[in-house]
Amino acid sequence: MLENIALQSSGPAISPSAAAALAVGLAAFGAGYAERGIGAAAMGAIAEDNDLFVNGLILTVLPETLVILALVVVFIV
Amino acid sequence: MSTAGGSNPEYVNARVRARSAALFDEEEYRKLVRMGPAEIARFMEESEYEEEINALGSRFSGVDLIEFALNRNLAKQFNDILKWADGRLYDLIARYLRKFDAWNVKTIVRGIYSEADKESVDADLIRAGEFDDRFLDRLLDATTIEEVVERLDGTMFDAGLEQAYEDYEDSGVLVPIENALDRAYYENLLDGLVVDEATEQYREYLEAEIDFRNARNALRLARSGADIDPADYYIEGGSLFSATELVTLAQNPDELVAKIRDSKYGDELSNALDELESASSLIGFERALESALLEYADGLGYVFPLSVSPVVSYILAKEQEVDNIRAIARGREAGLSEDEIEQELVIQ
Repeated sequence: MLENIALQSSGPAISPSAAAALAVGLAAFGAGYAERGIGAAAMGAIAEDNDLFVNGLILTVLPETLVILALVVVFIV
Repeated sequence: MSTAGGSNPEYVNARVRARSAALFDEEEYRKLVRMGPAEIARFMEESEYEEEINALGSRFSGVDLIEFALNRNLAKQFNDILKWADGRLYDLIARYLRKFDAWNVKTIVRGIYSEADKESVDADLIRAGEFDDRFLDRLLDATTIEEVVERLDGTMFDAGLEQAYEDYEDSGVLVPIENALDRAYYENLLDGLVVDEATEQYREYLEAEIDFRNARNALRLARSGADIDPADYYIEGGSLFSATELVTLAQNPDELVAKIRDSKYGDELSNALDELESASSLIGFERALESALLEYADGLGYVFPLSVSPVVSYILAKEQEVDNIRAIARGREAGLSEDEIEQELVIQ
């Protein structure tokens, strides 16, 4: 029992896979925050001119690449 | 920052930018100048003004139709903006749009003074300010100026108006009342404004507007040679003149021009000032002031895109468009030549 605790405290605070999960989560959080402003602006532009739907959609999901890149980390560890 | 009810400049600015792209440009003005009132109405029907022209087309015709459609569209556009905006952005825009409250009250007071009938006063109101329709109708129902002053009790115009009304009773001219309304509006603009990075430019712009207004009033007084104390017209809040400075400068137009030339607005206004000195045309100078203000506001919108500046710039440009179209329609009706009308326009 005591041995176990001693072993744990000498290792890293979180395991590599947990850290990778955190990295993806944080990246997703950042992407979401970036999409907030872009999405609002895109909705405004689309409301004025329907032709802007495709452009608005593309620009809105661009920050999503952040999450995809962060996903690479999961496969590395 | 993204909580419900927070400021939403991204959404509002995207819509406003789309709307300002749809404003008439130089080429369209050039076409309009060559048209008669009926053709202008037809042209407007194919633009942003379609809805208003169709709604009013059966009841009015010619220049009246154009004018009513313009006023109604102006009010609609600005009410739209207020509907989109939330939180702090709403507050900043509403603050600026109160200028239409001042305009409406002035129109009503003038209507009573000139004994115009209620319908024609109503048609000139721009229902875009803070006063709702019911309150404006109540003001419209007033038959004397005293009643209007009484009904404005408790609004932002309350403070100076009683005194102004006494002055009006003594002198019989509307100037003190109109002046009190203007001052109440401008003093409320900067009052209690929280200045941080985002609103710094907004304040700068408002200061420029006040400065330009002071300069224009001073020049008008200097030119008219009337025996009126310029300090009565001074609006607080500008950065260019103090009240006492303005009093001395109003007696000496040359010094006033030199003072403006040395100020931070000197570059933008240098052409206008040259024109003022050579041709001594006050009208040209006032047009130049307006277009300089337009340009100034437009520039600020690009410096800080996620602020209220693009909205203010749009409001100003829209107002200018309405003024321009009205000038064209009225000018054609009065039989002015194309060149003369073109001189009346402020095109960015």
